[in-house]
Amino acid sequence: MDYKFPEQLFPSFYSCGPPDPVPRYCARSWGSYDRVRPQAGSGPNSSWTFTSRHQPRGESWRHVESVPVPLLSPRNAFVWPLKPPNPEDFTKHMENFYVDHCFHAFGCMSELLGENFDFNGNSKSRYRKDSVLMGRVNNDLHRLDFKVCQQSYKWTRMKRYAGLMSDVLHEVPPQLLGSLLHEELTDQTDRLLFPEANTGGALAFIPFKQSDSQHGCLLYPGNPGLDLLTFHQVALQHQRGGSSSVDTSRSSFSFQLKGSIRQISCSSLLTQCCVGVRSNYFCGVWRFSETNEPRLLQVVKTAEVSTCINVSPHVLGEVLVASESGAVKLWTVGRGMQKVRTEESNLYFNAKSPWRWCEFSAHPRVMLYADRTGAELTDIRVNPVSGHTLFRISSASECRSGERLILSKYLGDAHSFHHLITTQYSAYIMDERFPCVPMLKWDHMMESPPMSCHIVAGSASSGSEERTTKVLLGSNVSQEITMLQYSGGRAEACSSRGHPQALLRPRESLKHLPAQIPHRLETATDRLSSPAAGLTCIQKKSGDDDCLCVLQLTTAGDIFYQILEPEQPNADTCKPPAAEDEHLHQPAATEPLQPASSETKTAKQLPPEPDVSETSSDEDVVGPTQNVMTQRVVPETPERNPTPSMDSEDSEFEPQSRFLKRLALQVVVNDDPELDRGSDLDTSVTESGNVAEDVAQDAVEPNNVQETVNVLSRTVASPVKLSSTTLVTWKHWLQKLMHISSDKKKRSDSSPYFKIQTEGLLQLPDECASEKEHVRSLRRDLKSCMSRRSLLVHGDTSTPFRTPDVVPLPSQVDTEAWTDRLNQRLTASWQGEEAWRSWWKEELGMNREEKMHALRRKRRRQKEAKRAAGDRLKLTGSFTSSVSYQSGLDDFSDLSGWSSATSQSAWSDWEGRQVLSQVLSQEEDVLEYAAPSTVQNDTPTPTPTATPQRLRDGRGDRQTPSKLNTFSVPQKQTQTSQRRNKRSADGYLSSLFAQQDNPSQHDCYYLDEEITTNPPPVASTSSQFRNSQSVPMGSFRADLSQDFFSASGSSQSQFISQSSQSRWGSSQASQPKKKKSRMGF
Amino acid sequence: MDDLDRELGPHGPVEDYNDFSDDNVSKGGTNLKRPNVNPAMCKETPRETGFHRSTRICLEQIREAVLHHKWQEAAEYMACYPQLLEDTCLPPAQQNKELLWRISTNILHHHPNSTMEDYNNIYERMKHSGVRHHLMICLEHSFHLLLHGQNEDAKWQLSSAESWRHGKESAAQHQRAELISAYRSLLDYVIWCDKRFSNSDNYFDSDNQGMHDHFRQASLNLKEILKKPGVWDPFILSYVDMLELYDDHEEALKVLNDYAYNNNFPPNPNAHVYLYQYLKRHDASEKNLMRVLKILHVLVPSHELMLDYSTLLLNSENKTDIQKALGIILDMLDFTCWRTNMDVWKCLKTVIQRLEIQEDWENVVCEKMALREDWWPALHFTSFHASKDLEENPELWKVKASLAKVLCPKQALKYTADRVTNGKRT
Repeated sequence: MDYKFPEQLFPSFYSCGPPDPVPRYCARSWGSYDRVRPQAGSGPNSSWTFTSRHQPRGESWRHVESVPVPLLSPRNAFVWPLKPPNPEDFTKHMENFYVDHCFHAFGCMSELLGENFDFNGNSKSRYRKDSVLMGRVNNDLHRLDFKVCQQSYKWTRMKRYAGLMSDVLHEVPPQLLGSLLHEELTDQTDRLLFPEANTGGALAFIPFKQSDSQHGCLLYPGNPGLDLLTFHQVALQHQRGGSSSVDTSRSSFSFQLKGSIRQISCSSLLTQCCVGVRSNYFCGVWRFSETNEPRLLQVVKTAEVSTCINVSPHVLGEVLVASESGAVKLWTVGRGMQKVRTEESNLYFNAKSPWRWCEFSAHPRVMLYADRTGAELTDIRVNPVSGHTLFRISSASECRSGERLILSKYLGDAHSFHHLITTQYSAYIMDERFPCVPMLKWDHMMESPPMSCHIVAGSASSGSEERTTKVLLGSNVSQEITMLQYSGGRAEACSSRGHPQALLRPRESLKHLPAQIPHRLETATDRLSSPAAGLTCIQKKSGDDDCLCVLQLTTAGDIFYQILEPEQPNADTCKPPAAEDEHLHQPAATEPLQPASSETKTAKQLPPEPDVSETSSDEDVVGPTQNVMTQRVVPETPERNPTPSMDSEDSEFEPQSRFLKRLALQVVVNDDPELDRGSDLDTSVTESGNVAEDVAQDAVEPNNVQETVNVLSRTVASPVKLSSTTLVTWKHWLQKLMHISSDKKKRSDSSPYFKIQTEGLLQLPDECASEKEHVRSLRRDLKSCMSRRSLLVHGDTSTPFRTPDVVPLPSQVDTEAWTDRLNQRLTASWQGEEAWRSWWKEELGMNREEKMHALRRKRRRQKEAKRAAGDRLKLTGSFTSSVSYQSGLDDFSDLSGWSSATSQSAWSDWEGRQVLSQVLSQEEDVLEYAAPSTVQNDTPTPTPTATPQRLRDGRGDRQTPSKLNTFSVPQKQTQTSQRRNKRSADGYLSSLFAQQDNPSQHDCYYLDEEITTNPPPVASTSSQFRNSQSVPMGSFRADLSQDFFSASGSSQSQFISQSSQSRWGSSQASQPKKKKSRMGF
Repeated sequence: MDDLDRELGPHGPVEDYNDFSDDNVSKGGTNLKRPNVNPAMCKETPRETGFHRSTRICLEQIREAVLHHKWQEAAEYMACYPQLLEDTCLPPAQQNKELLWRISTNILHHHPNSTMEDYNNIYERMKHSGVRHHLMICLEHSFHLLLHGQNEDAKWQLSSAESWRHGKESAAQHQRAELISAYRSLLDYVIWCDKRFSNSDNYFDSDNQGMHDHFRQASLNLKEILKKPGVWDPFILSYVDMLELYDDHEEALKVLNDYAYNNNFPPNPNAHVYLYQYLKRHDASEKNLMRVLKILHVLVPSHELMLDYSTLLLNSENKTDIQKALGIILDMLDFTCWRTNMDVWKCLKTVIQRLEIQEDWENVVCEKMALREDWWPALHFTSFHASKDLEENPELWKVKASLAKVLCPKQALKYTADRVTNGKRT
């Protein structure tokens, strides 16, 4: 039925210009129906129905397990660094080259000059009189074997020699070598980020029979270099609700190749299978069937790097090969090659890419020729060849500028006229019969471009339900696999079904497995994150019991598979299969189970792989325990991958308070004992700030709990638990990986550090000799003492310890005794620049005005305080200013008594306390909202000025509580554990509060600008403190700590202006809240 | 300023079609081999505020959830994401709004608990949130209504969108406006059809004025959009259907011809099919029909109608026509999908039989097969094919076996039953 062309296509505009220059975001096809097309119903009256091009409903497939499972046990592999090399590091590489391959680097000249130098130093066989003695240079050279400190070892002598001979010694001029190396490193970076050589993928599965698609041959590259072509008979075993696995116990064949395998292309015609394998400069074709062993038919060597190989699905033994020269050749195996098309340049515009691709099409003599700019259908029967455009990067296919063709694939199995074209943004289905206009377009939303794909043909409306065709796209660097579904293309136009679905990635599997020890975690993570190199799929289609097994190859040579099942409508009610499985396999879990015990019957026998003794493993390797298994819950609750903002909440808090403490210690400006105590109090205040936060978080808790319950109740239902077989497989896999990597580490130990023998340095010469004697005598003394039942005291020892010569400390300078100005100044300057500066100010009389002002203000305040004491209603006004009315008097050490006076006056407001508590209770709800402000602080900046900012942010968010709720969900998870021990600290801290009857200590740092702008204060902070012990007053304490924070910063003169601003900001920010409360009052 | 700016904001005109996108350059990638990778929705930038960062992270989470089909989770994240709109320092708010709309409808499409009310809410709100995407959302809204059988509401939506005007229109907006009127006309046509069926006795009564009104309204816009290059299969079908009833054959032919042969239009096989069907309905001459099919043969040699074409050619008395028919059938058999089709092989057999009357028929066949002789045997006449055909369709095997000798007289073919039984035994 493939010959039918859709009777009606979806309407669209057509223009063949360059792509739209306006860049669009990625999700541009999300959520839209794109177009609809009418279908006249059979009945006469208004039975029109409409179909859209993007249909939201598709088949839903779910994973049987939440991690991919390794198919084979790990082998030795070369794990590429995840980070690409920096091309600027070429000097480092040159250095390595000179050290490691000195004979290649300097061979010629050293041979010539060697006679003139004598490196043997003191040897007698000096064969020339005038040779230069190089003994000391020799020492230097020996040191090259070690990593030495560049600072302490100067290579002056070597430098001189270098100056003398550096321009003659090198075999390759360093400039040339450097530029070449730079180029090579740049290339390597590109290859790592975009490994275009691997396009197409080096993994394939060929079912032996059309009817039985579960049994077949898996083709994959083995060996660390990926140069061992392996044919492995595998079978998919799957039962719905039971265990599923891929059986790899059957025989395998392998062939050693002369280059790493880049692409495997295969096609089967009836019972015969033909396999084309591409490495960079070689292409080979094998043939096999279920009964016949694989047989190499022919190998060709290409002059240029070959970029593509494709085996014909029409005629066995016809292969298309493309190379970077731009030529595509039709290779009829056994008969030779025929050049069918050559293009020097790119097809539609200059993309500066030598990459070429070729595919067969529905017609055996029409082939698709593609490069980064588009694809053409070429009829190779006519000469000169002519092509017509199938696809090009243009506005006809709604491309973006910068979009490039990444992969093209003939979808012969699904529809004989369809081609899949992928770019880094989208995937297109093209119909050969209607070129230029894409039948379908998706945004695949993958992070890195898809470079391999597999198609799972749907069934064209057989029986009741039409199965969709699935397109699996695999990207290399990010290991993503995305499944797209579509239907149609025959009698009806193509329409996409459902939403693109991302499948599991090996690199994310460790999250779902039991925890590993850090260094093992690192090894495993590195191994699992190596880029993907291929993708294939085993399909089981037998009635209702469908399943898909998606296999993915990584460049480390590992293969992972994941099994998908169509979701049943009643899936929620039935028990996940893995859970039952766990019961069934409980005894099996204790037995060692080889993930792949494959007897390899290779053409060239492989070395027996190191057998891991299972007995040693149990204590050696971290495996899953029962405990962990039961603990395993939801695979991806937010708790497991906390977003950075939540991280910062955790991490930022502690250092900050520590920072506060340090600052608090710096505040001390003179030796006033009272102040000293004050700073102690300050630190306790900061801690109380901590607690305050905690209390506040507790206050938010109900919301959190609610939310968490929601989250959990939802997520627990859907995903699946890991079955014990999977866990065991993973356990063994990780065990073997550790064995391999530990072996490797021993071998590749890097050059040791250059060490100096220090034993002799730190030993007293005679001590060593008398040590034993000394100990012996001590023992003797001890014994005698014990027999006498007396204490061993110093006097009793026969050989008393020599008391070390005590160097007498110089006697304490009594600063009080030296009263002249010079000494005062010196004393002040010992206390820091601040004190020194203030001394000078005092001395020069620069602060007389300020003092007078301060005195006047103080008096005014006292008066007002008395007035306010009479008027209770105005009490609340003090909220605004209570924390800020004090002046920053840190310069005036002699005026510090004032503040205590103020606080006394404040104490007279004692009666107002009850009113206050009323107000506070009204404020509770406000406080609750204000508390999560810590969640919002994204940028933990340790500068004091940042904190008020943070606070303000928190306030701003109060208007949108929904955000808070969701963000606080995971946060709550992390807090629960903390809270437990903090609660115990709570009691201790509250006892600390009791000591804070004199809060003036931190008040005294405030600057006086505040006072002029703020309304006259009445109550002081102390009264609030009393209240705070009864009410959850989280933010008040937080406020206090904030204020204190900025104030303490102001001890540094350069902070004065900043801190005053910031504190001003904070007090401003707190105003609206307080006003609100006053209104309520 | 922000990554979203760069990603979503209006770029300056791209100076060179050949160049790579800015993203690639900004990454410091000096190598031009590598296409711009990482087309992620959201990228980190060196200078972003905490707010931008949290929206970016939120967007990433939404993307993850959506791609893993965790719709509930996505919906919960989505509840916070609209905060993005409150940001004043993101200039391309339009793009953000569109993205917001796309993600939210996407989630609604798949969320189990989404209701029509939610949809209407989102569509209506987002529609009025910006000028540039107004028409697009209107169109999508009407599609949504159409898919849910609310044709009248959809029509109302479309007509209100049609009357929406906003100053200067961009090219894309203009196209959308045209699409909207075309779809509105399509709905007019649907009503027109209903009315036609309801009183099929006499269309041209005065009672049927409403029906004619609908025709008039529909034809105007449909005619307009058919002038624009594009794929307009549903529109042209309805337009031609209406014209046929009013006997405006001239216009219908003109429209169909234009749709098929205008070079600005994409090479749509359906255009030729519609023309052919129209001509056939109106009893055009065989010559005309063959002319249409000849062009279709060049475009799509594998088309179903090629069977009709070969029958037409066989009916003519011309000698060369039979040779042409042979070529056409052989072309069809080149394609995978026809390889086991009984009709085509039978047709081939008739053609050969007709040819055999001629004198130098063997030369003619050789000439046609010359290009195919190296791969046709492998494509059709191997022992594997013989065994498969025998198993599945013995009649086909008979036809093929009889033709094998004729088509490839010089080669020893293995397409025999004898061989197959041997093969089966081994």
